[in-house]
Parts: sequence; C-alpha cells; structure tokens
Amino acid sequence: MSLLGADSRREIEIHRYPLLVYALVLLGSLVLQAWLPRVVGRYVWFDLPLVVIVYFALGRRNPMQGTLMGAAMGLFEDALSHNAIGINGIAKTTVGFLAGSVGIRIDVDNHTIRVLLNFALSLLSSAIYLFVTRFLLGLAVEWNGLTELLRAVGNGVIALVLFPLLDRLQIRD
Amino acid sequence: MESFIIRYRNLVVLLALLMAQLVGLAVQVRRTASGSSALDDTDASGVRLIRLWANALISPPERLIHASKIGFAATWSNYIDLVHVRQQNKDLENTVDRLRLEEAALLEDARQGQRLQAILGFQEKYIYSTLAAQVYGSSGSDRSHDFFIDKGWRDGLKPDMAVITAEGIVGKVRDVFPHTAQVLAVNDTTSGAGVILEKTRIRGVLRGDASGQLEVVGVTADQRIQPGEHVLTAGGDLIFPRGLPVGAVKKVVRDPDRDGLVDIILTPAAPLNRLDEVLVITSTEPRFPPQDEKDLKASATEESAVPAAVKDQMKASEIMAEKLPGLIDPNLPPDQQPLNDNSNPNPAAQPPQPLHPDEFSPSANDDSNAGPGSDSTPKPKGSSAAPASPGGAATPAPKSNPQTAPRRNP
Repeated sequence: MSLLGADSRREIEIHRYPLLVYALVLLGSLVLQAWLPRVVGRYVWFDLPLVVIVYFALGRRNPMQGTLMGAAMGLFEDALSHNAIGINGIAKTTVGFLAGSVGIRIDVDNHTIRVLLNFALSLLSSAIYLFVTRFLLGLAVEWNGLTELLRAVGNGVIALVLFPLLDRLQIRD
Repeated sequence: MESFIIRYRNLVVLLALLMAQLVGLAVQVRRTASGSSALDDTDASGVRLIRLWANALISPPERLIHASKIGFAATWSNYIDLVHVRQQNKDLENTVDRLRLEEAALLEDARQGQRLQAILGFQEKYIYSTLAAQVYGSSGSDRSHDFFIDKGWRDGLKPDMAVITAEGIVGKVRDVFPHTAQVLAVNDTTSGAGVILEKTRIRGVLRGDASGQLEVVGVTADQRIQPGEHVLTAGGDLIFPRGLPVGAVKKVVRDPDRDGLVDIILTPAAPLNRLDEVLVITSTEPRFPPQDEKDLKASATEESAVPAAVKDQMKASEIMAEKLPGLIDPNLPPDQQPLNDNSNPNPAAQPPQPLHPDEFSPSANDDSNAGPGSDSTPKPKGSSAAPASPGGAATPAPKSNPQTAPRRNP
C-alpha cells in the first residue's frame, strides 16, 4: 500500500463524475439491492450500496462527502427494512468517512488496494451494525459470522468487476 | 472556535450525523415489561415519513424492472413455451371435477360444524375476500425478511392483514403505502404466529431464526413429534385464520436457552424465498364467501348426478338393515357390517355330536338339515312329502300333529 506525502496529496487526481452518474449509480445500487434477493433467494452475500459508497468516497477523496453519502444511503436501506432507522445509517456513515479519509492518504487507483479496502470496510460495517443493535440498543439479534465473511468476500468480488466499469464514467480533463 | 470547526469540519460533520442518528434510534426503541428492549410496533410520524420517501424513490424503478421481467416471462410462457399445455388442461379439468365431488362431500361436514359452533356460541371465521398482489421487491438484506407488494391502502390494504399463497401462509402486512405495502415474512426473527401440530395437537409460536428458517419455539419435549408432521395455523393470533398450512416438521432440536423445551424446525409450505404472487386476506367472516357458495351449489348438482345404480344399491342395503336389524351393528361402518363381510376368518363351528343321541338330536330325524326357523318337529315315521297336487303345484307339507308322541330311539 503506497502512502502519499502531504505535497503529493495536492497533486493527486480527484475523480469527478457527471451528476447524473452519481444519481443513477446510487439509486441503481439501492434498487438492485432490493430486487436481486428475489432472484438469488436467501444468498444475499453482497451489499451494493456499500460498494458504491466506498468507490465514490475513495475516488472523491473527501471524507465529508463520503460521510453524507454513507448516511443517506444507510438511512434509505433502513427505511426499506422493518428495522429501526439509523442502524445501517450509522454503519455506512462511518464507512463513508473512513473511505474518504483513507482516499487522501493512499493510492486508490490500484485495484488490489480498492478491493482489499472494500473487504475490510464491509467487515467493519457488519461489526458496527452488530455493535449498535446489540450493545447500544439492546435488541436481540442473531448473528452468523460466516454470512458476514461471505458478504465481505462478495463485496470484494463485485468491486473487482464494478470499479473498472465506473472508472470509465469519470470526467477526464 | 470558528477556525476549530473549519479545521475539523469533517470530524464535526461525522459526529453530528452519528449523534443525530443515535438520538433517532433512541426514540424508536422502548423498554418492555420484561426489561428487554424492543422496537416500537408503530412508527413515529418522522420515521414513517422517511419510510414513505424511501418507498416512493425505490418502488417505481423496482416495479419497472419487475414488470419487464414479468413481461418477458409472460411472452415466453404464453407464446413460445406451450408444449404439453393441452394435456395439462385436460388433467386440470379432471382435477377440478374430482375436487368438486370431494368438496360436496366435505360440505355437509362443514355445515354440521357451523351448526355445532352456533350451538356452542363460537364463530369460526372463514376467508371471505382476498386480494391478489405481485411481489416486486425485498428489503435487500438477509437481516430483515420482508418484501414489498404492488397493492396499497388505495386497494383496501391495512396493517396486520394476513398474506398467504395457495401453499400456505407467508406473512402479514406491516406498512401500507398508497400503492404498495411492506409485508413481514413469517420467517423473520421478529415475526410471530400461533400454530398447532396437525396430529399431536401441540401448540406453539412460529418465528424465524437468523438464517431465515421457520421454527416453532418453546415447545415441551414430546416423543410423538415426528419429521413430516404438518403444522397449521392455530387461529389465536387474530391475524391468520385457523387451519392454514404453515409447513412440515423437518427436525426437532433442543432449545439452547431453556431446559426441557425443544424448537421444531419446519420446512415452509410456501416458497418464502421465491414468491411471485400472494393473496392478502382482506376480510374474514363467519360464513362462506359467495364464490364458495356458488361452487358448493355446483358441487351439489354434480353430486346428484352420481349414477342411480349406486344410490339404488345404497337403498337396498338400507331396506335390508330395516328388515334384519340383528345383522346390522350400529357401531360399525357399512363396509364392515357382518352382513357384507365375507372375510370372517372364524366361521361358526358345527355343533358337537352328542355322545348318546336321542330324538332331540339334530341327526335323529330326516329334517336335520332344516334351517333355523323351519318346523323341526319330528314327523311320524313313514310320513313323506306331500304328493303333488293335481294341478302340479306343490302343496305345503301338513303340519305335524302336536299330539303325536315323540318316537324314542332304541
């Protein structure tokens, strides 16, 4: 993982996208996340909104944008379930902030680094979800560690395919 | 201060958002009487507003994708993949005929049940009207087992209405929006329904586990519970009518939290992970719906067309039962009556031969083979059958003289 110095940080490229791409990709991830489980059944080993949040937060290299994007997407996900609104919101807010913060410090154009980051942030998101539900709210929640691991792997695989495709939608000078 | 906020604005925004969401969560959770935490069943207005926005944003494109899929599938199945349709149609017609006759047979039982319930002051409620709906989306997470249907309050849906398929129960309506509704599946961990095992009549509460399996929890261990036994709704939860299929027993496992109790893992009757169309029970009434009444009339008409020979046969057996009441055992079903039973493994034994036969012994006279009820009075020796009458018609044998002394054997 190549760390960047303070001088080179100013020179690094910030990925920019048309506003329509933001809107369609974010909305598309929410819609597909809600629709695909009907096709794959119980094997919902992916979290498309999380993958998209990580991608944009890393590319934009802006923790605040990552935080806001994560909060909005997490709240929408909560609203589609019957669970309390805010659990996914907190998890994805944190993930968006961390991805944006990491984007400032490392070279995020490297595919391997992005996929590994995606894997790690997926696990972190699951851990925050569990912490908030069980320890902060005191709600009974049954947990399957293997499922969370598989979900992180699934997110990594999706990132491997999706990130190069989304890179093509950048605005290039 | 201003420079501090500007310098750490990213962190400030993060903390502000986290705090806001934590406060929002605290509002939604309440303490139960047992001291544990639980989510409020009814959403606060702000929470409901967020759900409404999310639904308004996600539902249209999701329904569009679903409609495209349905359109493609319909084109395929209606115009291209029509192999064996004629045979299937024939089979289905036969099935409908058979079911109508079976329904007619059950009709009397149902009516008798209604009469008895009326006597007991108990009213069984039947599914009076249902509304068909398409499933077009889910929550997108395996942590909450719920899905969305394309009917809402404009179609008459209300929270807590039962959702079923032809195979079995599916869930209950949780949130209702103008054109859509969210359904909480029975295999969610927060779901609950009263169920009863069909044979053993053991009752329990149905819910889902973390992996989405159906289970009946907190049941007292019982050796009679065997895999394959069907589980039905018990009707006590005021959501699902009684007697709807839930699933079959898959296995019985020990309750990890409570000694002496078991959890029954079920195979769901309805395909909960691959639902396309569901029925929402919009009302239940203590009477049959009009369509059922119509079907029952049609069944009764068909039943009257049962071949007359069968009915005549039944009538003949009834006449015989009237004439020979001794041959009819009221405690036995018709096909096991002694009159009809040719499979008796222990036929009546012949009476033992007497050691010292006398004139009363059956073999002592010529009429020993006379059947029961015939006149077995000994006849004087030398008497014979009455001569044929001139007209050729046999005259009855003259009655023996009761004054004749009985003849003794030497």
